[in-house]
Amino acid sequence: MKSWHINRRRVLRGIGATVGLPFLQAMVPPGMKMEKYLENNRPKRLAVFYFPNGTRQDYWSPEQAGRNFEMSPTLKPLEAYRKKLLILNELKNNLVDVSGTDGHYTKTAPFLTCQLIEKTTGANINVKGTSMDQVLAQHIGRKTRFSSLEYGMDPVRGGVDSNVGYTRLYGAAISWESPTRPKPKEINPRFAFDRMFRNYIPGQVLKKENPWKKSVVDLVLEDASSLSRQLGAADQNKMAEYLESVRAVERRLEAKEDLSNFEANLTPDIRKELIQMNVRLNDFVDLNSEVNITGKIRLMMDINALALWSDATRVTTFMFGNSVSNRNFSFLDGVEGGHHSVSHHRGHPQRIEMYGKINQWHSEQFAYFLDRISSMKDGGDQSLFDNSTVLFGSSIRDGDKHRASNLPIVLAGNGGGILDTGQNLFYKKDTPLANLYLTLLKAMEVPIDSFADSTGELPGIRV
Amino acid sequence: MHLRISFILIYLCSCISLCTGYPDPQRHFWQTVKPILDLHCSRPCHNADDNKGGLNLMAFDFIQEIQRRGEIWVKVIEHVQDGSMPPDTKPALTKMESDTILLYINKYIRSALEKPDPGLITSTRLSNHEYEYAIQDLTGITINADSLLPRDASGGEGFDNFAASHFVTPLLMERYFEVGETVIEELGSNKEQWRSIVPENSFSIVQRIRHLWYSWIYNRNLDYEETVDNARDPIVRFTTQAYRRYLKPDERQKLVSFFEEVYHDLPEDDFRYDEAIQEVFKVVLVSHNFLIRTEVDPPLTDPYPVSSFELASRLSFFLWCSIPDNQLLEAAYKEDLHNPELYRAQVQRMLKDPKARRMAESFSAQWLEVDNLNDPSFEIDKNLFPEFDEELKSAMHDETVEYFYYTLSESRNFLELLNGRYTFLNEKLANHYGIEGVKGKEMRRVELETPERGGILGMASVLTTTSLPNRTSPVLRGKWVMEKVLATPPKPPPPNVPDLEATKQVHDELTLREALVLHRENPACYSCHQDMDDLGFALENYDALGRWRTTYTNSTKPIDVTGSLKSGEQFEGAVQLREILIAKQDQFATAISKKMLGFALGRSIEFKDTKTVESLAKVLIENNFDPVIFIEELTLSYPFQYKKSDPVVIVQMAGT
Repeated sequence: MKSWHINRRRVLRGIGATVGLPFLQAMVPPGMKMEKYLENNRPKRLAVFYFPNGTRQDYWSPEQAGRNFEMSPTLKPLEAYRKKLLILNELKNNLVDVSGTDGHYTKTAPFLTCQLIEKTTGANINVKGTSMDQVLAQHIGRKTRFSSLEYGMDPVRGGVDSNVGYTRLYGAAISWESPTRPKPKEINPRFAFDRMFRNYIPGQVLKKENPWKKSVVDLVLEDASSLSRQLGAADQNKMAEYLESVRAVERRLEAKEDLSNFEANLTPDIRKELIQMNVRLNDFVDLNSEVNITGKIRLMMDINALALWSDATRVTTFMFGNSVSNRNFSFLDGVEGGHHSVSHHRGHPQRIEMYGKINQWHSEQFAYFLDRISSMKDGGDQSLFDNSTVLFGSSIRDGDKHRASNLPIVLAGNGGGILDTGQNLFYKKDTPLANLYLTLLKAMEVPIDSFADSTGELPGIRV
Repeated sequence: MHLRISFILIYLCSCISLCTGYPDPQRHFWQTVKPILDLHCSRPCHNADDNKGGLNLMAFDFIQEIQRRGEIWVKVIEHVQDGSMPPDTKPALTKMESDTILLYINKYIRSALEKPDPGLITSTRLSNHEYEYAIQDLTGITINADSLLPRDASGGEGFDNFAASHFVTPLLMERYFEVGETVIEELGSNKEQWRSIVPENSFSIVQRIRHLWYSWIYNRNLDYEETVDNARDPIVRFTTQAYRRYLKPDERQKLVSFFEEVYHDLPEDDFRYDEAIQEVFKVVLVSHNFLIRTEVDPPLTDPYPVSSFELASRLSFFLWCSIPDNQLLEAAYKEDLHNPELYRAQVQRMLKDPKARRMAESFSAQWLEVDNLNDPSFEIDKNLFPEFDEELKSAMHDETVEYFYYTLSESRNFLELLNGRYTFLNEKLANHYGIEGVKGKEMRRVELETPERGGILGMASVLTTTSLPNRTSPVLRGKWVMEKVLATPPKPPPPNVPDLEATKQVHDELTLREALVLHRENPACYSCHQDMDDLGFALENYDALGRWRTTYTNSTKPIDVTGSLKSGEQFEGAVQLREILIAKQDQFATAISKKMLGFALGRSIEFKDTKTVESLAKVLIENNFDPVIFIEELTLSYPFQYKKSDPVVIVQMAGT
């Protein structure tokens, strides 16, 4: 029908710099100004926020179903966004919720894959699926400098959890680019910021790109590809990982076009924000400590927001903590002790009280992220929030019980006009969580018909 | 009716023919051994449906299957032997039955061990620690890799040198490029250090005259040619050490060509030569030859000895957590490492080198899990224990490392890990222990006058990491002793049993014993917790930060530190417990052997390694726990010296 509306990127790829303005107009619908068109067709983004150790269950779900509901105590900090939320109740990560497995690791790694993981102390790491964010990243990621970015607060914890016989790695990753490869999280705000924006801070000593880096890359690539033919299977896999990683460095080096697209996206607003962000990072003294955890988490969220806003990537995930995180929350009034310990409340009223407060703190930080992306103008009168789908949730319901049913899941943002927000929805008991992922992926134009154990799309959430 | 009889007949015939087709031992298994297992183990509990303890013994129909999963059957034997299985609630085995099971299962798994199997060691990326140390040994530049690179996961025996959990990712690769550049630039800016690696490119007067002569007469630029010659040597030396082997001619040529390329592009100034070499070094630091430890897999089906250079790497990554030095590489080149005398001499030299301290630190902190102290999520209740600060924490950690290193390098007696009459303290930790007369920040050896401390069981690091944030945990401490000292790690708790320690509102240490005794009444818990809890209670005289106490807070009653083991021993308190553990030194020998072998190989220790572990434990016992002899034997052991190829390669080769 609209065959003359050619894809903008294809134009740039094919004809490069010779493209003149009149030709570009061809992809804009008749009667619309080009600026207007670009303003209204901002990319759709996905951001996932995972929190560990479940939630105080009687404080999570608002009581009234439908559009007129009152916020629950835990979600109270999101009040300002009530009309922009979808609270999804009774979703279950079916394949994962089986008895005879561990409570945390077997639920965290599959949060976005919906598959039962291989039990291992490290030799056979396998989550049996690709996580939904990575499915999306593999579909749309080529369009941006980074196909996806993964953020978090905790480093991978060393060792094997000998209580349960799982490598702790499973508790430290929700993004899996393949069943056997987790994406590492960036946990240092300074590195995370510099990786994207270092060269766009005026007055900053420019880190000059090594002029021979290309030759360096070529040399090591050549060397490595000749070797990989003589190795055993596992060794070849390791070499393949290496080659792929060096090539990623190479791509970024060569992708001048991506870089100039990226730079074109850095509006004066964004650049101003980058300068402020840089100052805040310099001022923040606790980068490597846990002293001001709220401050640090907000820095990470700012960087996450900037990554999406600047179109450095369109897919991000964020882990508030690793599985079984025992972060000390005594800095909150009325809370004593670590997150995981408190989550095992055993019905003790005082502990339940503390548990609720820790959950609420997570909602407050999430609200901060929503505040940030709402304030970021993303074309015309839209904000980044309007063009994003933001998922906030955990892989178990009650931290005391470890069940993966009736999961705490909230969506925020309009997803660029795909979501019918402002509802508190109660699905049929044990509706597959995978149905949500299928719905989101399809809404974001990924050509798939099923995801893990999905039985169909989730009704009622799409426009 | 007739039909039914003929069916039965056919069934019987087929049974007989089924059996006759198999060798005698297999038939014997079906006729004699399996029925006992079915009756007492599989049918009541360990079948596909009940799957008690995650164990389905019904599935084992063939002796080969038992042999393949020997580690399971070792456990079966142990449990039958010590009477913990079948549990008291089920009918007991007759003497005849248990003898049959023990004799034959033992026979099956023993015969499986007759053909040695060195196991598979796959390529592994350097761990952050190894990277840090390798950079240091190569360039003299000190970095903190954990703050510059994404953190490593670990696996296998619980060490961070485990191949399968070390991924190479684009993010990491980006960081390697950047860190490598920074390191080399820093090295280049430190003139003295740089000149120790790359001598000046200077020419004597005689040379200069010759250069002039050549350019007049032959029109040859000797200046350039000899500069390239000069560069070759430091490049080759640096790269050889980084790659841990001698270079192939084409590798050498490529690097030198790259030098020429850069040299050619750079402006003609005094820095040109050194800068061009720096660019070459940057290549080396991001090469897979440096970042990934790979052993070549020739297409052989049988195990074969690892090559000299590979052996040198195995040694240096085990003993130094880093790359070999020139002396070791030279020994490898001269094939000295295949001469047992010279090989032992190398191992001894390496253990004497201060770099062995890295192994001591890496191994002891991870083995004893005191590295948990450095975990950001490690938690101590600051309100209850305001004295737990960074300084105390690092003194605790260092005590363990220094102590371990001392038993390795000075006293040469690993048994002192259990009962030394000394320890390592600084003022902070000495005050914490209530020991007087230690001043200053540095850790030093202190003789102990009282028996409360001495050995790992009296160390604040161990006692703190096995406590909960607000109180001691006899269960965690008991588990720790069973795992680290007795080599009998308890089974994981049954699924979905909530973590008693974290959940019970036993905030009060006073009621701990009652709570745990109550909990043990549940037979599912009893079999493991009996020993575990009592071992832990013997250590109750140490509080949650490892300080000595005789009563609980708010109580005048002495703490009850009595206990007993299933094997019969009774004890009261830490000192007596230590004596019992010394008496069980065979088990301690097994525990160390297994863990150190796992650390040395960077893989999980499995059933196939049983003989190696047994013989290493024997070496310890027969040599007064001398760590040097033990480590020599470990590095001479079959799985350290041999390897086998990844089967897939063989298939591929056969196909081509």
